[in-house]
Amino acid sequence: MTAKEVYKIWAPTGKKWVDWVRPVPFMGIGQYQKAYGIINRALPCIQFLEQAENNELNAVLGINGWEKAYLEQTAIIVDMSGEESVRYGVALAKYGFRPIPVYNGTLEQSGSRATVDNQSVGMALELMAKELQKIEIADEARPAFLLDRNRLNRYKLEDSVYDNSWDVYPQDLPSPDYLLEQGIESILVVGGRKISRDVKKILATHQKKGLKIYHTDGYERPKLQFVWKLPSWD
Amino acid sequence: MRLVPIPTSEYEEYRLNLMFDCYKWDPQFYDNNTVAKYALVITEEEHKHISSLTESLDKETRAAEQFLNNHQELVAPLKLTRQLRGDIGRMGNYNPDQHIRLTRYDFHPVSDVEGGWAISEVNSDVPGGFAEASLMPRAAIECLNRAQDIEQIMEKPSYHFVSFGDVMVEAVKKKVKAGGRIMLVHCTCYSDDRQVMQYLGDRLVSEGYQVIYGAVEHVSFKNNKAYCVLDGNEGELDAIFRFTPLEWFKDIKPKPWQGYFDTEAVSCNHPVAIYAQTKRFPFVWDTLEGNGINMTTWRRLLPETIDVKSSAGREGYIYKPAYGRVGDGISIREALNIKEYEKIMKDVGRHPSRYVAQKKFASIPLKGENGEEFHVCLGSYAIDGAHGGYYARISKTPRIDSNAADIPVLIEGGDSYDS
Repeated sequence: MTAKEVYKIWAPTGKKWVDWVRPVPFMGIGQYQKAYGIINRALPCIQFLEQAENNELNAVLGINGWEKAYLEQTAIIVDMSGEESVRYGVALAKYGFRPIPVYNGTLEQSGSRATVDNQSVGMALELMAKELQKIEIADEARPAFLLDRNRLNRYKLEDSVYDNSWDVYPQDLPSPDYLLEQGIESILVVGGRKISRDVKKILATHQKKGLKIYHTDGYERPKLQFVWKLPSWD
Repeated sequence: MRLVPIPTSEYEEYRLNLMFDCYKWDPQFYDNNTVAKYALVITEEEHKHISSLTESLDKETRAAEQFLNNHQELVAPLKLTRQLRGDIGRMGNYNPDQHIRLTRYDFHPVSDVEGGWAISEVNSDVPGGFAEASLMPRAAIECLNRAQDIEQIMEKPSYHFVSFGDVMVEAVKKKVKAGGRIMLVHCTCYSDDRQVMQYLGDRLVSEGYQVIYGAVEHVSFKNNKAYCVLDGNEGELDAIFRFTPLEWFKDIKPKPWQGYFDTEAVSCNHPVAIYAQTKRFPFVWDTLEGNGINMTTWRRLLPETIDVKSSAGREGYIYKPAYGRVGDGISIREALNIKEYEKIMKDVGRHPSRYVAQKKFASIPLKGENGEEFHVCLGSYAIDGAHGGYYARISKTPRIDSNAADIPVLIEGGDSYDS
C-alpha cells in the first residue's frame, strides 16, 4: 500500500472527525531507515470497557462514578507508548470509536540518533491499517484521538542527538465548542498514571467550557479529574 | 484579482494531493480547514505590478539593512533585544554578495491607499510557505484542467505561475558549489517547520546537493566556518538555510549560535535580516533618508506606523507585536472575540515597547461562491532582489492569521502551464 492508501484507511473521505487525522506519520511510510523484527498486531483488551459491560447495573446506577451511558457522549484520547497506542486505537474501533491518529513527530536526520522513535508509529499505522479495514465503523462513531506518550522524551544525552520530540497543541484537536456541538460531553484520557502535561494544558480549557474530564491508566475504572490550568510559561 | 472555485468533485482529491505530494502537512487548525476551496487568480498586469513593487521594496530593504549594519550606532529606535544588540556587533564582515537574501512582502488589496495595494509587513528573517508557493499552484491548475470538459477547454483561460522553488534553486546554484553540504536549520520538534524544510531539502537533493536536517545547536563555528555536529553527519557545511527565528536563539542552550552572525558559510537568511524583521523598522526611516537611502516604496505602501505611546487618543490604529508572526497578536477588533481583544490590549498596556501602532487599512474582500467574502494576504517573495513567487492566504476576517486558509496563486493569461 502507498502512504496515501494507508492514510485513506485511517481517514476515509467524508467521515466525521477524519479532518483531524495528521498526515505527518504517514509521510515516512516507505522511507524507514530502521529495521524492526516483529511488530505486535494483537489487539489489546480494553479493560475499563469490559468492566462496564460486566457491571452494567452498577454502571447505570453510577455506583462507580463511571456510567456506561457516558460512553455515548465521550471522546477518548489514547495517550500510550508508540505502536501500543495504534493497536489500542484499532481495538477501540470495535467498541464504536473512530481512531483518529494525531501523531505529529517527524523522522530524524538519516544517520543520527533521535529522542523519539517516530518510525515505529508510522510502521504500526501501516500494519494496523489492514486490521482497521476489517472493522465497520459507524458514521456516528465518537472519536478516539491517538497520541504517542513517548513524544515527550526530550532528554538529550548529548547535543548531537536529533530532538524529534513533540507536544500536542490545542489547534491539533477539535475546539471544546465543536465537541459540545457534536454532543460530546466528556473526554476520557487513557494511558499513564497521570494526564500528560501538554494534554492537561488543552483540557483545562475544555473543562472550563463544561466538558467533564476522566482518566484511566487503561486498567482501572475511569475517574473524574479536575485539571488545573498550567502557567503559560510551563 | 478573483477567486476561482476548485470544483467540488475534485476538492477532496486535491486536498489529499496537497498533503502527500505538496508537503501540506497541516491541513487542519482547530476546527478550520486550512486548504482553501478556491484559487486566487491575478491578471498578468497585476502580477507585473506586484512583482515590480516587490523588487522596489526589496532594493530599499537591502540598502537600508546594509547601511544600518555599517552604522549600528543608529539602530537604537529598533529596540532590538539585549541578546541581539550584543550579537549584531559580530556582523561587521557581512558581505551581501556572499549570501542569499530571501524576503516576503505581504500585500493586501485596499480601498484607502493610492494604487489599491498596501503592505502589512515584510517577513524578513524566516519567511515560510515554500511548497505552497511552488507546488500548490501546479496542483490547482491540474485540478481545474481535469474538471473542464472538451468543449470548455477551447474557451478556458490559461494559467501559469511563478515557482518559488525554481527561483530559489537558481539562487542557490549561483552561491553554493555543486554537490555542497547544506544544513536546513529549523525547530526539529515542529512538523510545521519540517514541512517547509522538507520541500526545500528534497528539491536541493534533486539538484545534487547534500542536505542535512538539524537544529540551531547542531551547527558549530570555528574561524567563521560552519560545521555540522549532528551525530552521523559531522563535517564542514557550505551553506546554512535557517528557518528558526533569530529572536528565539536566546532560549537555545548551550550557546554556539553567535557564529551564525559572522559565518562565511553561505547563509539564507544571514542574521542581517533582523533590522527589517522588527515592526519598528519604520522608526529609522527618517535617519535612513537623511543619509541618502531611498524608502519611497515602503512609505507609499506601509500604513503609518508609530510608537504605541504616540498613538494615545488617536483613532484608527491597530497594535502589532514588534516580533509578531503569522498575524497572531494583532488587535483588529472585529476579527477577535472580546476576550482575545482585551488580552492583547492588556499586554499592549503592560509592554508598549513590544508593540507598534499602525494605521488600519481598509481591506477589500473578494467575493466567493454564495456571496461569501474573503480577505486576502498576497505574500510576494524576493530572492536576491528578484521576484520569487507568491504565497497567499484568505480569511473571512480582516486579520489573516493561523486560522486562515492557504490558497494557490495563478496568473491569468500568458503561456499556460503545460502538465
